[in-house]
Amino acid sequence: MSEIRALIVDDSSVMRKIVERSLRQAGLDPLVVNEAGNGSEGLEVLKNKDVDLILSDINMPNMDGLEFLRQIRAQRLAPGVPVVMITTESSEEHVKQAIQAGARGYIRKPFTAEQVKERVLPLLHGV
Amino acid sequence: MALSLRSLRPLVSDPLNLDASVEEVFHMMLGINCPRNAEPITVEGESVTAVVGFCGLLTGACIFRAGRSVAMDMAARMTGMEFDTVDDIVKDAIGEICNIMAGAWKGKVPDLAANCGLSVPAVITGRDYHLHVLSPEFRLVHTYRYEDSSFAVTIVCDGLQ
Repeated sequence: MSEIRALIVDDSSVMRKIVERSLRQAGLDPLVVNEAGNGSEGLEVLKNKDVDLILSDINMPNMDGLEFLRQIRAQRLAPGVPVVMITTESSEEHVKQAIQAGARGYIRKPFTAEQVKERVLPLLHGV
Repeated sequence: MALSLRSLRPLVSDPLNLDASVEEVFHMMLGINCPRNAEPITVEGESVTAVVGFCGLLTGACIFRAGRSVAMDMAARMTGMEFDTVDDIVKDAIGEICNIMAGAWKGKVPDLAANCGLSVPAVITGRDYHLHVLSPEFRLVHTYRYEDSSFAVTIVCDGLQ
């Protein structure tokens, strides 16, 4: 696998580190990580950098993960790049909203590195 | 007919849901087992408290409380870093533990998961403080063992529609 460029969006810097570590444990190496603390910051990253994978929380201040997804589509940023939601929100309704907004995967917190591997790696074929 | 959680009160307030949530969160995120402890939490000196609010058909809060050394150790396990003070990273880690716990707890009841939102965590540090909630609908106060110490998780529900 060639170098993977990931964008991790979460208002918790600790969670961003845990997600990054999980990606590395899943075998994504070499891995270049960009971080953002909310959806607005995530959009700014996408306007300036190319990424291969986006992982985003839902509950965040300023711009939540669902609005972030909608804005990615509305602004035609990162076309074709898979987005995986990593969140404490676990209801079917939240999953449905995320999928409708463009998410390709959904991981519920708490999670294991194995779960990240199972949900993320199939989305990266061809990268 | 509008959805109501009132009829689900016994399920929503089931103490076993909280124990299962704590077990799940600590096992998966920190790789340790934290069994329920009959003794109340004893914290000498500074403690760290995280609060995540519930809104929607259930209102209230999930409250996590630990002493500073337990909080720093949890943050160390989560980040791989070492801490000698309760800095912003430790507060962030404890807030996230509380957030994940609140999400796991409400996820035990599907109708609650779908109709109850979470606030972003607030973290309080200091000594000799108390959190008061007037006339809660129900309250769960559980203590869990953390190696030679302990921490407490409280679920307070002050409104159930």
